[in-house]
Amino acid sequence: MLPSNLLTVWKRKGTIQPRYAKPSTENLQIANQLIEAYKHKLGKKKRTLKKVADDLEDEGYSYHLVRGLSLLLDRKSDYKCTSQTDPTELRRRLFQTTGKNGSATTLEQRKSIIARVASQLKISNEQLEESMYADLDSELTLQDFFPVSPQKLLEEYNLSLTQTLLFDATELKFTVSANWQKIFFKTKKLGLIYDAYKDNGFWVKIDGPASLFKLTRRYGTAIAKLLPAIIASLKWTVEARILWKFTNEIYTFKLESWKHAPLFGIQQTTESFDSYVEEDFAKRFQALNSDWQLKREPEPVIAGQHVLIPDFSFEREGTKLYMEVVGFWTTEYLLRKIAKLKKTKAPILVAVDETLACERLTKLEDQQSLNLIYYRNKIPLPPIIRHLQKAFKEIHAKQTEFLKNLNVTFTEPIIRFEEFAARTGVSTQAARSTLTENPPSNYIVLPHSLIRKDKLEKIKKKLDRQIAKIGRLPLTEASKIAETEQEYLTSIIQTLGYKIIWHGINTDKAEVIKRDA
Amino acid sequence: MVSLWFDKGTLLLKGDVGTPYGKWDPRVGCFRLKALHYRDVLAYLKESHVPFEDNVPQLPPLETLKSTVKLRPYQESALKRWQRAQNRGVLVLPTAAGKTYIALKAMEQLRTQTLIVVPTLDLIDQWRSRIRECLGAASGAVGGGENTVRMVTVSTYDSAYLQAAFLGNKFLLLIFDEVHHLASPSYMQIAEMYIAPYRMGLTATYERIDERHHLLPRLVGDLVFTIQVEELTGKHLAPYIYEKKYVGLSAGEQQLYNREMGTFKKYLREKHIVMKSPKDFQRFIMRTGRDPRAREALLARNRALKIALNSQEKINALAKLLDANKNEKTLIFTLHTDLVYTISQRFLIPAITYLTPKEERREILENFRKGNYHTIITSQVLDEGIDVPDATVGYILSGTGSTRAYIQRLGRLLRKVEGKQAHLIEVVSKETMEVQMSRRRTQKNTEEKNAIASK
Repeated sequence: MLPSNLLTVWKRKGTIQPRYAKPSTENLQIANQLIEAYKHKLGKKKRTLKKVADDLEDEGYSYHLVRGLSLLLDRKSDYKCTSQTDPTELRRRLFQTTGKNGSATTLEQRKSIIARVASQLKISNEQLEESMYADLDSELTLQDFFPVSPQKLLEEYNLSLTQTLLFDATELKFTVSANWQKIFFKTKKLGLIYDAYKDNGFWVKIDGPASLFKLTRRYGTAIAKLLPAIIASLKWTVEARILWKFTNEIYTFKLESWKHAPLFGIQQTTESFDSYVEEDFAKRFQALNSDWQLKREPEPVIAGQHVLIPDFSFEREGTKLYMEVVGFWTTEYLLRKIAKLKKTKAPILVAVDETLACERLTKLEDQQSLNLIYYRNKIPLPPIIRHLQKAFKEIHAKQTEFLKNLNVTFTEPIIRFEEFAARTGVSTQAARSTLTENPPSNYIVLPHSLIRKDKLEKIKKKLDRQIAKIGRLPLTEASKIAETEQEYLTSIIQTLGYKIIWHGINTDKAEVIKRDA
Repeated sequence: MVSLWFDKGTLLLKGDVGTPYGKWDPRVGCFRLKALHYRDVLAYLKESHVPFEDNVPQLPPLETLKSTVKLRPYQESALKRWQRAQNRGVLVLPTAAGKTYIALKAMEQLRTQTLIVVPTLDLIDQWRSRIRECLGAASGAVGGGENTVRMVTVSTYDSAYLQAAFLGNKFLLLIFDEVHHLASPSYMQIAEMYIAPYRMGLTATYERIDERHHLLPRLVGDLVFTIQVEELTGKHLAPYIYEKKYVGLSAGEQQLYNREMGTFKKYLREKHIVMKSPKDFQRFIMRTGRDPRAREALLARNRALKIALNSQEKINALAKLLDANKNEKTLIFTLHTDLVYTISQRFLIPAITYLTPKEERREILENFRKGNYHTIITSQVLDEGIDVPDATVGYILSGTGSTRAYIQRLGRLLRKVEGKQAHLIEVVSKETMEVQMSRRRTQKNTEEKNAIASK
């Protein structure tokens, strides 16, 4: 973060962007010159470094950039007062002398006072002159410097610049691909309020309590502090509203990972597992190779006024369940958690550590509506699989029921199960079982679709005509014919009473003949 | 049951009731109010006979306060006016008229949890020692590394603003020293985020150039008392004589000055920029952000100004003045830190700037008070209300062009010492921009006085 006088931006059509220092040859060169200067000025006074920066400015380089970089380098430096005599004590003696005898209004008086005090302190006149204000910031000596690469310095500068712009933010919206838990934790710690909503993905708006009453920059600093956590994941979009103090106008400031991440050179951090129990569970579940997709820390779930980030999600063909792992707990905590969980519409399993329970479980036994799974040491797979299957079945049953009651008349030549499922919002499996169990009268069931009888007949005629010529047809040509009619040959070959003759494994040589031929 | 809670500088009203002050907050699902409206919402709920539970105040325990403060008649009437306005409002009194004592008396009589908000760290120390002397109580402090909350606590504006979420429900009386600061966009949120129903504002300069002082009645209360320097002069404050002393630039300095100013003026002419008010200048500063030539013009102007400020002739003039008033307690003011150190090193006299360590600053002021030091050179840090008793001579080596700073610098010299007449001498470079600044300032001052007189 930089002082706001070093912030430099461009504004266009209601948007605002910092003037970032791209890693161009020129910028890298400025950064390098400054870094080298700091390396070589070890043991020199701070004002000599200021001179280096001033010179660069005089050469025409942007003073915002030069001063910004210098400031960042100052923070990597250690300055000390190297005077042999304590300047405070030295001044005290000088001032006591002039306090008694009057200010040094003539140069002769000055000389004699300095000589007197210098001899008291047993130093030379020159040493005294030099030490009088040796403790002033500009007079301190560079003792140590922790060098960075020019590239890294520019990246730090760009991040600082962004944070400085955010000081004037009234609110910030973002979406990220990971680290939700960490971000929410930090948000709360910074005294900010978040508001989650869905709008082409899961978005979070951040501002503070008093933002309700008026646009305020009050939370800008906290928002700036939150930024590094937000942009630490692989994909993110950040959009802030900036109240520009000079003109009192509102601007939009947008950052997107695909475009801006390289400017900051961020080290991506994704969260590691909270505990061995979770990690172990994930490993064992993955090993099952089930149809369920396991995701660690999925996107947050809206729970009334709050959001909740479950530890895991299980997903299979549109059926989604969550699981929350609860380690140390009290009944009250668990009930509160469950109350929160219940506000979400999503089904959630709760894995509870029996050994860490500090209250008796009996109190919870009447909580039948809960999907509680107790564990010791490791989370057992069977009850979870049972829950998943049960949920899937339930949903499957519900969807089948729904489809049965759905009054559809089919007219299209081919009905693909997958497309139909997507259209009606059910799982493919539900679509398949409903459609195949009781297919509409003039359709025939294929592995992935229903096909209208006349359509199938049309394909059959085409194929028959070709096969009739020499009693067989190359597989590639047969496939082409089927594909012009939007169907896969492999799906219909059985139904039409053909079979494939293989000459080796090469499909080019395979042929289609009539099964009874 | 309706309940009222404090939430990070705002109030939450839970339960099935609305108020004229609240706003529905969908993020938390209840009404939210500004803490400023605490008094109003309590009154509203009571009048509407709504039973409610008040969980807002978290007050530090009360302590006993001694009563030693004796008020002068005009201080007495200022306090009465404030009390009659339901313990709210702003009192305008010139520097050194004893604003602090009025506040101390108010605290003694109300005997409630009080936060005093001051502009600088020095003022924290000063208020705390006054509280110890006059009320016999130890006080808390927030700011400058300290963080203790007691019945009476002193804070800087910065800390009061930054910690509003934490301090907002701990006090029932707020005292704003130099209350004109409160009207700034960020500091005004202090007034909005604290629940205190009782509020007192103190200042010598109510009006702000940016007109924002019109916000103060809503934040602190009406202007309930005003008394002018003229009404107090001679009676309670030492009279002073103001002089202006012109010094020329040396030939070399003048030449350099003309060249730099020429660059600046040429740019203004080319761009048809007219500078009449501080706002015009502000606009010009913004221009320098995007136009390198504007920036070059600004730098040239600053260099010219520096030549005028640091002029050798001015230093010579100062040497003469110091010689002529050797035994007087003297304060030298200048705006520029660099000049402070140049003069300190040249005359070997103590300097106070924003860079001076707190301990050394205290030591210098203490020695000045005791008479061990006769002269101090300082930049702006002593501007507001710091006690530097017995100073009888003041030199201004540069002007800021701001009326408020001008009055308050004067104020620092207005200490009543038996038979003492204070002198304030401004040393201005002849025929430079500084003359214009200084002239404008004096003029503005007169205008303001007339405006007040005609009310």
